[in-house]
Amino acid sequence: MNRRALAAVVLIALALPWSVGSPYVLHIGIMTLIFVVLAQSLNLVLGYSGLLSLATPAFFGVGAYTAAIMALKLDAGGAATITAAAAAGALTSLAIGVPSLRVSRHSFVIVTLSATLLLQVIAGNWEELTRGALGLPYVPAPRLLGLAIEGKIAWYNLTLLFAAAAVLATHLIVSSPAGRAMIATRDNETLAKAVGFDVVRIRLFAFCVSGAFAGSAGALYAHYITFVDPGVFGFDFSEVLLIMVILGGAGTLWGPVLGAVAFTLLPEILRVAPETRSLIYGFILLGIVLYMPFGLLPWLSGVSRRRAKT
Amino acid sequence: MSADLVLQLIANGVSVGLGYALAAVGLALLFGILEQVNFAHGELYMLAAFVVWWLVQMVGLPYPAAAALAIAAMACAGVLFARVALVPTLDRSADAAILATLAVSVILQNAVRLVFGATPHSMSTPLEGMTLLVGGVLLFGQRLLVAGAAVVAFLGLTLFLRLTSIGQAMRAMAQNKRACVMVGIDVRRITGWTAAISAALTGFAAATIAPLFDLYPSMGGDVVFKSFAVVIIGGMGNIAGAAVAGVALGIAEALVGGYLGSAFKDGIAFAAMILVLLVRPHGLFGRAVRV
Repeated sequence: MNRRALAAVVLIALALPWSVGSPYVLHIGIMTLIFVVLAQSLNLVLGYSGLLSLATPAFFGVGAYTAAIMALKLDAGGAATITAAAAAGALTSLAIGVPSLRVSRHSFVIVTLSATLLLQVIAGNWEELTRGALGLPYVPAPRLLGLAIEGKIAWYNLTLLFAAAAVLATHLIVSSPAGRAMIATRDNETLAKAVGFDVVRIRLFAFCVSGAFAGSAGALYAHYITFVDPGVFGFDFSEVLLIMVILGGAGTLWGPVLGAVAFTLLPEILRVAPETRSLIYGFILLGIVLYMPFGLLPWLSGVSRRRAKT
Repeated sequence: MSADLVLQLIANGVSVGLGYALAAVGLALLFGILEQVNFAHGELYMLAAFVVWWLVQMVGLPYPAAAALAIAAMACAGVLFARVALVPTLDRSADAAILATLAVSVILQNAVRLVFGATPHSMSTPLEGMTLLVGGVLLFGQRLLVAGAAVVAFLGLTLFLRLTSIGQAMRAMAQNKRACVMVGIDVRRITGWTAAISAALTGFAAATIAPLFDLYPSMGGDVVFKSFAVVIIGGMGNIAGAAVAGVALGIAEALVGGYLGSAFKDGIAFAAMILVLLVRPHGLFGRAVRV
């Protein structure tokens, strides 16, 4: 992305709350920005490290519960809850990654899904801590620098800050030696091993950063929605995230951002019921996997190339 | 704890474990032959359960007829499933098949939710409430049917793979897909057969096991959770290994549930799976003796 386009994106993002005052539009904006953080979390693992992981909702859910429990039971401030949620997400990623990153790709995907399902069961049954299926309501607004984050505009600016930080951090990581190592292990694992990369450690690093991103997104979600229940571990999240990242372009910096914007806006514009939405998403995911595995942009240029030939 | 109780717990564990093995056999077969992990396995199970429920409770067919019809319908669904998700991803990376089957699982789950609603259903069978007392151990009718079905399914599948030409072609495909193409085996047709048999076995499992529990559109998650554990513990794609792992898991769950309380039961499958992956990444029975 060139400087001018970047400046335009930043300007539009900053100007939105001042130009469109409607709380509804701002709410969609906030959810989009939380999804940008999540999409970047999956992008680091799936896009830049080539690991298909279904554990993003696990990190997100652990982060959401950590923040909610700390805010409700310990009366902790926003800096503490969000930091703790990011740390909890990273720890969860280590707990899942250490046993599963050494084994076959198939086993890795299975373990990431099973771990997420198990965490959902635990959240549903550990009633002393999580109140089970009833969930934790009235999660208070986070206090940052002595200010409570309340109102849509404050929330929009806070989530914009996190989304920008996630994009910037991803950019810095993938252009650092560690990021190049991630890409090398993705493109050719055998060669990467042969030239001396510790493949498991590099992948664990990517997984861990991804866990911290998703954990902090979970904290933002818990504070913003003010309610957490076992549904935060739901597979629906994984499904939407996979569509956002793959369709936008896994392994590109701005593709998943575009995907996150498109797939939080589209359902609002089309106004479909949640059940039908999931069904449609299923067909979209199938279509992407079969016809455009590298995302929308290469597919479009492929179509135009084919058309030019005929 | 008395010997009688331990015996009863082990008998319960074996019957539940045979159910786990039966529910997982279709998944193990598909991976063993095609090296594709079917993330729609739980939803195929759920679909079969809803078909049986619909035929018994809504249409009014007798239970055995409904079960037979559902198994046949699942075989057809398996062929369609192969067309949509398995054949197009045969030559692609492992992730493509996983994502395609994940998409199918989402489609099936939400389609069933739209048609039948999210409220749980239940069905009754002629064996419900029937019990048998053998040497102080109480056995339940429907559980015995599940155990018998598991034995029939595993023996039948083994014989099919050994004795029929389709079965031999499937085993050939498990060994070397490219060589299959060279000697004139239609890989796409065998993929269709494998999916049909896998789905029919899953239908068989659902028809016998589902009457024991409530039916709801997201029930596949529980099934796939246990099935994945069974398949990983037994060694991916190792069908006999899945049978042993299923029974072992059933016994372990029954004993832990009996001694420590049932709250700890759900974690055992996952803990065992992680333990096996740490100690023996290719499962207890490895790949060497698969299919």
